[in-house]
Amino acid sequence: MAEFECRLKKYRQLKNMTQEQLAEKVGVRRETIMRLEKAQYNPSLKLAIDISRVVEVPIEDIFIFN
Amino acid sequence: MKKNKIKMLIGGGIFCILMMFFASWHAITFNDSRLVVPMDFGSYTFQIKDLPMIISIFLTCSYVVSLFVVLFINIGKRQKEVVQTNTTRKINPKWGFLGLMGFLGFLGFWTYPINGDVFPFVFFMCFGFFGFFYEGKMAGTFMDERFQENVVQAQVKSYKITFSIMFITLIILCQGRFFGSLEYTFIATIIVLSLTLALGIFLPEYLLYHYDHDEQANESEE
Repeated sequence: MAEFECRLKKYRQLKNMTQEQLAEKVGVRRETIMRLEKAQYNPSLKLAIDISRVVEVPIEDIFIFN
Repeated sequence: MKKNKIKMLIGGGIFCILMMFFASWHAITFNDSRLVVPMDFGSYTFQIKDLPMIISIFLTCSYVVSLFVVLFINIGKRQKEVVQTNTTRKINPKWGFLGLMGFLGFLGFWTYPINGDVFPFVFFMCFGFFGFFYEGKMAGTFMDERFQENVVQAQVKSYKITFSIMFITLIILCQGRFFGSLEYTFIATIIVLSLTLALGIFLPEYLLYHYDHDEQANESEE
Protein backbone atom coordinates (compact mmCIF):
# COMPACT_ATOMS: atom_id res chain seq x y z
CA MET A 1 0.00 0.00 0.00
CA ALA A 2 1.30 3.48 -0.87
CA GLU A 3 2.36 5.49 2.17
CA PHE A 4 0.41 8.66 2.68
CA GLU A 5 -0.41 11.28 5.21
CA CYS A 6 -4.02 11.94 6.04
CA ARG A 7 -5.23 15.26 7.41
CA LEU A 8 -8.85 14.24 7.56
CA LYS A 9 -9.07 14.51 11.36
CA LYS A 10 -8.04 18.17 11.27
CA TYR A 11 -10.55 19.13 8.57
CA ARG A 12 -13.31 17.07 10.14
CA GLN A 13 -12.82 18.79 13.48
CA LEU A 14 -12.83 22.16 11.72
CA LYS A 15 -16.30 21.26 10.39
CA ASN A 16 -17.36 20.22 13.93
CA MET A 17 -18.22 16.73 12.81
CA THR A 18 -17.85 13.47 14.66
CA GLN A 19 -16.48 10.38 12.95
CA GLU A 20 -19.95 8.88 13.12
CA GLN A 21 -21.52 11.84 11.32
CA LEU A 22 -18.88 11.87 8.62
CA ALA A 23 -19.17 8.12 8.18
CA GLU A 24 -22.92 8.39 7.74
CA LYS A 25 -22.58 11.16 5.17
CA VAL A 26 -20.08 9.30 3.00
CA GLY A 27 -21.74 5.89 3.44
CA VAL A 28 -19.10 3.95 5.34
CA ARG A 29 -18.66 2.67 8.89
CA ARG A 30 -17.06 4.74 11.65
CA GLU A 31 -14.21 2.24 11.83
CA THR A 32 -13.32 3.06 8.23
CA ILE A 33 -13.06 6.77 9.06
CA MET A 34 -10.84 5.88 12.06
CA ARG A 35 -8.53 3.84 9.84
CA LEU A 36 -8.48 6.63 7.27
CA GLU A 37 -7.49 9.22 9.85
CA LYS A 38 -4.62 7.01 10.96
CA ALA A 39 -3.60 6.62 7.30
CA GLN A 40 -4.01 2.87 7.67
CA TYR A 41 -6.52 2.54 4.89
CA ASN A 42 -6.14 3.65 1.30
CA PRO A 43 -9.60 4.83 0.20
CA SER A 44 -11.17 4.38 -3.20
CA LEU A 45 -11.35 7.40 -5.48
CA LYS A 46 -15.10 7.63 -4.90
CA LEU A 47 -14.72 7.68 -1.12
CA ALA A 48 -11.94 10.26 -1.32
CA ILE A 49 -14.12 12.50 -3.48
CA ASP A 50 -17.14 12.04 -1.18
CA ILE A 51 -15.04 12.97 1.87
CA SER A 52 -13.55 15.97 0.13
CA ARG A 53 -17.05 17.19 -0.76
CA VAL A 54 -18.34 16.75 2.78
CA VAL A 55 -15.44 18.53 4.49
CA GLU A 56 -15.20 21.01 1.58
CA VAL A 57 -11.46 20.65 1.17
CA PRO A 58 -9.64 19.51 -2.01
CA ILE A 59 -8.60 15.84 -2.03
CA GLU A 60 -4.90 16.68 -2.38
CA ASP A 61 -5.07 18.69 0.86
CA ILE A 62 -6.61 15.78 2.78
CA PHE A 63 -4.52 12.92 1.43
CA ILE A 64 -0.86 13.66 0.85
CA PHE A 65 1.04 10.87 -0.87
CA ASN A 66 4.79 10.83 -0.24
CA MET B 1 -39.54 -15.88 9.39
CA LYS B 2 -42.53 -14.92 11.56
CA LYS B 3 -43.04 -16.81 14.82
CA ASN B 4 -46.54 -17.89 13.78
CA LYS B 5 -45.16 -19.45 10.62
CA ILE B 6 -42.43 -21.26 12.57
CA LYS B 7 -45.05 -22.55 15.02
CA MET B 8 -47.19 -23.77 12.10
CA LEU B 9 -44.23 -25.58 10.55
CA ILE B 10 -43.30 -27.25 13.86
CA GLY B 11 -46.96 -28.12 14.50
CA GLY B 12 -47.23 -29.62 11.01
CA GLY B 13 -44.14 -31.72 11.62
CA ILE B 14 -45.47 -33.02 14.94
CA PHE B 15 -48.83 -33.79 13.28
CA CYS B 16 -47.10 -35.78 10.51
CA ILE B 17 -45.06 -37.77 13.06
CA LEU B 18 -48.20 -38.52 15.10
CA MET B 19 -50.07 -39.56 11.93
CA MET B 20 -47.19 -41.87 11.00
CA PHE B 21 -47.22 -43.46 14.47
CA PHE B 22 -51.00 -43.89 14.31
CA ALA B 23 -50.85 -45.39 10.80
CA SER B 24 -48.04 -47.78 11.84
CA TRP B 25 -50.01 -48.85 14.92
CA HIS B 26 -53.14 -49.34 12.79
CA ALA B 27 -51.23 -51.37 10.18
CA ILE B 28 -49.53 -53.58 12.80
CA THR B 29 -52.74 -54.12 14.80
CA PHE B 30 -55.40 -54.43 12.09
CA ASN B 31 -53.61 -54.93 8.76
CA ASP B 32 -51.00 -57.69 9.26
CA SER B 33 -48.20 -55.04 9.26
CA ARG B 34 -48.77 -54.30 5.55
CA LEU B 35 -46.66 -51.34 4.33
CA VAL B 36 -44.68 -51.49 7.60
CA VAL B 37 -42.59 -54.61 7.09
CA PRO B 38 -40.70 -54.96 3.77
CA MET B 39 -43.03 -56.30 1.05
CA ASP B 40 -43.09 -56.96 -2.69
CA PHE B 41 -44.59 -53.85 -4.27
CA GLY B 42 -44.65 -55.53 -7.68
CA SER B 43 -47.67 -57.57 -6.64
CA TYR B 44 -49.26 -54.86 -4.49
CA THR B 45 -53.04 -54.51 -4.62
CA PHE B 46 -54.85 -51.71 -2.89
CA GLN B 47 -56.92 -52.53 0.21
CA ILE B 48 -59.11 -50.07 2.09
CA LYS B 49 -57.18 -50.87 5.31
CA ASP B 50 -54.00 -49.45 3.68
CA LEU B 51 -55.62 -46.02 3.55
CA PRO B 52 -54.31 -44.61 6.91
CA MET B 53 -50.72 -45.51 6.01
CA ILE B 54 -51.04 -44.13 2.45
CA ILE B 55 -52.54 -40.88 3.76
CA SER B 56 -49.82 -40.47 6.41
CA ILE B 57 -47.07 -41.13 3.82
CA PHE B 58 -48.67 -38.62 1.45
CA LEU B 59 -48.94 -36.02 4.25
CA THR B 60 -45.34 -36.54 5.35
CA CYS B 61 -44.05 -36.24 1.76
CA SER B 62 -46.13 -33.08 1.22
CA TYR B 63 -44.79 -31.67 4.49
CA VAL B 64 -41.16 -32.31 3.51
CA VAL B 65 -41.70 -30.74 0.05
CA SER B 66 -43.42 -27.68 1.55
CA LEU B 67 -40.59 -27.39 4.11
CA PHE B 68 -38.04 -27.21 1.27
CA VAL B 69 -40.18 -24.68 -0.64
CA VAL B 70 -40.46 -22.45 2.47
CA LEU B 71 -36.71 -22.82 3.05
CA PHE B 72 -35.83 -21.75 -0.51
CA ILE B 73 -38.28 -18.84 -0.44
CA ASN B 74 -36.78 -17.68 2.85
CA ILE B 75 -33.22 -17.93 1.55
CA GLY B 76 -34.24 -15.89 -1.51
CA LYS B 77 -35.86 -13.23 0.67
CA ARG B 78 -32.77 -12.96 2.87
CA GLN B 79 -30.49 -12.60 -0.14
CA LYS B 80 -32.72 -9.82 -1.48
CA GLU B 81 -32.56 -8.12 1.91
CA VAL B 82 -28.76 -8.33 1.89
CA VAL B 83 -28.60 -6.67 -1.55
CA GLN B 84 -31.12 -3.96 -0.62
CA THR B 85 -29.65 -3.01 2.76
CA ASN B 86 -26.01 -3.74 1.87
CA THR B 87 -25.56 -5.47 5.21
CA THR B 88 -24.31 -8.97 5.96
CA ARG B 89 -26.96 -11.66 6.32
CA LYS B 90 -28.55 -12.13 9.70
CA ILE B 91 -27.60 -15.45 11.18
CA ASN B 92 -27.58 -16.76 14.74
CA PRO B 93 -24.05 -17.59 16.01
CA LYS B 94 -25.56 -20.69 17.64
CA TRP B 95 -25.59 -22.30 14.17
CA GLY B 96 -21.85 -22.68 14.84
CA PHE B 97 -22.69 -25.63 17.06
CA LEU B 98 -23.37 -27.54 13.82
CA GLY B 99 -19.58 -27.77 13.68
CA LEU B 100 -19.80 -30.38 16.43
CA MET B 101 -21.19 -32.71 13.75
CA GLY B 102 -17.59 -32.88 12.53
CA PHE B 103 -16.84 -35.26 15.40
CA LEU B 104 -19.13 -37.78 13.65
CA GLY B 105 -16.20 -38.23 11.28
CA PHE B 106 -14.47 -40.28 13.97
CA LEU B 107 -17.21 -42.89 13.48
CA GLY B 108 -15.32 -43.88 10.36
CA PHE B 109 -12.53 -45.37 12.48
CA TRP B 110 -15.20 -47.63 13.98
CA THR B 111 -17.25 -48.48 10.87
CA TYR B 112 -14.28 -49.17 8.58
CA PRO B 113 -12.86 -52.17 10.50
CA ILE B 114 -16.40 -53.57 11.02
CA ASN B 115 -17.91 -53.38 7.53
CA GLY B 116 -15.43 -51.38 5.44
CA ASP B 117 -17.70 -48.31 5.44
CA VAL B 118 -15.66 -45.13 4.89
CA PHE B 119 -18.52 -42.69 4.38
CA PRO B 120 -18.53 -41.30 8.00
CA PHE B 121 -15.09 -39.75 7.38
CA VAL B 122 -16.85 -37.18 5.18
CA PHE B 123 -18.48 -35.75 8.31
CA PHE B 124 -15.10 -34.16 9.18
CA MET B 125 -16.20 -31.54 6.64
CA CYS B 126 -18.83 -30.36 9.14
CA PHE B 127 -16.08 -28.83 11.30
CA GLY B 128 -16.32 -25.98 8.79
CA PHE B 129 -19.70 -25.01 10.25
CA PHE B 130 -17.87 -23.58 13.26
CA GLY B 131 -17.48 -20.60 10.91
CA PHE B 132 -21.11 -19.72 11.63
CA PHE B 133 -19.93 -18.49 15.07
CA TYR B 134 -17.97 -15.73 13.37
CA GLU B 135 -20.53 -15.08 10.63
CA GLY B 136 -23.21 -14.74 13.30
CA LYS B 137 -21.09 -12.27 15.25
CA MET B 138 -20.85 -10.10 12.15
CA ALA B 139 -24.52 -10.44 11.22
CA GLY B 140 -26.12 -7.21 10.04
CA THR B 141 -22.77 -5.42 9.56
CA PHE B 142 -22.87 -2.62 7.00
CA MET B 143 -20.70 -3.69 4.06
CA ASP B 144 -18.71 -0.59 3.17
CA GLU B 145 -15.74 -0.66 0.81
CA ARG B 146 -13.20 -1.54 3.53
CA PHE B 147 -15.37 -4.45 4.70
CA GLN B 148 -15.63 -5.71 1.12
CA GLU B 149 -11.86 -5.44 0.76
CA ASN B 150 -11.47 -7.47 3.94
CA VAL B 151 -13.88 -10.10 2.54
CA VAL B 152 -11.77 -10.48 -0.59
CA GLN B 153 -8.52 -10.54 1.42
CA ALA B 154 -9.87 -13.22 3.77
CA GLN B 155 -11.15 -15.35 0.87
CA VAL B 156 -7.90 -15.12 -1.09
CA LYS B 157 -5.83 -16.07 1.96
CA SER B 158 -8.05 -19.04 2.83
CA TYR B 159 -8.06 -20.25 -0.81
CA LYS B 160 -4.26 -20.06 -0.86
CA ILE B 161 -3.99 -22.08 2.34
CA THR B 162 -6.55 -24.73 1.34
CA PHE B 163 -5.18 -25.14 -2.19
CA SER B 164 -1.64 -25.47 -0.81
CA ILE B 165 -2.79 -28.21 1.59
CA MET B 166 -4.63 -30.01 -1.24
CA PHE B 167 -1.58 -29.74 -3.50
CA ILE B 168 0.82 -31.12 -0.87
CA THR B 169 -1.68 -33.86 0.07
CA LEU B 170 -2.05 -34.95 -3.55
CA ILE B 171 1.72 -35.02 -4.09
CA ILE B 172 2.24 -37.15 -0.98
CA LEU B 173 -0.78 -39.44 -1.24
CA CYS B 174 -0.73 -40.04 -5.00
CA GLN B 175 2.22 -42.35 -4.35
CA GLY B 176 -0.49 -44.74 -3.08
CA ARG B 177 1.77 -46.15 -0.41
CA PHE B 178 0.37 -44.69 2.80
CA PHE B 179 1.14 -47.37 5.44
CA GLY B 180 1.97 -49.54 2.41
CA SER B 181 -1.68 -49.88 1.45
CA LEU B 182 -3.83 -48.33 -1.26
CA GLU B 183 -6.91 -48.59 0.98
CA TYR B 184 -5.29 -46.57 3.74
CA THR B 185 -4.19 -44.05 1.13
CA PHE B 186 -7.81 -43.71 -0.01
CA ILE B 187 -9.02 -43.21 3.58
CA ALA B 188 -6.28 -40.68 4.28
CA THR B 189 -7.28 -38.80 1.12
CA ILE B 190 -10.93 -38.65 2.20
CA ILE B 191 -9.97 -37.44 5.68
CA VAL B 192 -7.53 -34.79 4.47
CA LEU B 193 -9.86 -33.52 1.73
CA SER B 194 -12.79 -33.35 4.18
CA LEU B 195 -10.72 -31.47 6.74
CA THR B 196 -9.36 -29.15 4.05
CA LEU B 197 -12.89 -28.38 2.85
CA ALA B 198 -13.87 -27.70 6.46
CA LEU B 199 -10.94 -25.30 6.70
CA GLY B 200 -12.05 -23.68 3.42
CA ILE B 201 -15.52 -23.08 4.88
CA PHE B 202 -14.31 -21.92 8.29
CA LEU B 203 -11.26 -19.83 7.48
CA PRO B 204 -12.84 -16.98 5.41
CA GLU B 205 -15.29 -16.22 8.23
CA TYR B 206 -12.61 -16.47 10.92
CA LEU B 207 -10.13 -14.28 9.04
CA LEU B 208 -12.79 -11.72 8.12
CA TYR B 209 -13.85 -11.44 11.75
CA HIS B 210 -10.27 -10.90 12.85
CA TYR B 211 -9.43 -8.44 10.08
CA ASP B 212 -12.49 -6.46 11.04
CA HIS B 213 -12.19 -6.66 14.82
CA ASP B 214 -8.44 -6.67 15.50
CA GLU B 215 -8.30 -3.37 13.69
CA GLN B 216 -11.08 -1.98 15.84
CA ALA B 217 -9.37 -3.06 19.06
CA ASN B 218 -6.72 -0.39 18.61
CA GLU B 219 -9.15 2.31 17.58
CA SER B 220 -10.60 4.94 19.85
CA GLU B 221 -13.22 7.58 19.25
CA GLU B 222 -11.93 11.04 18.30
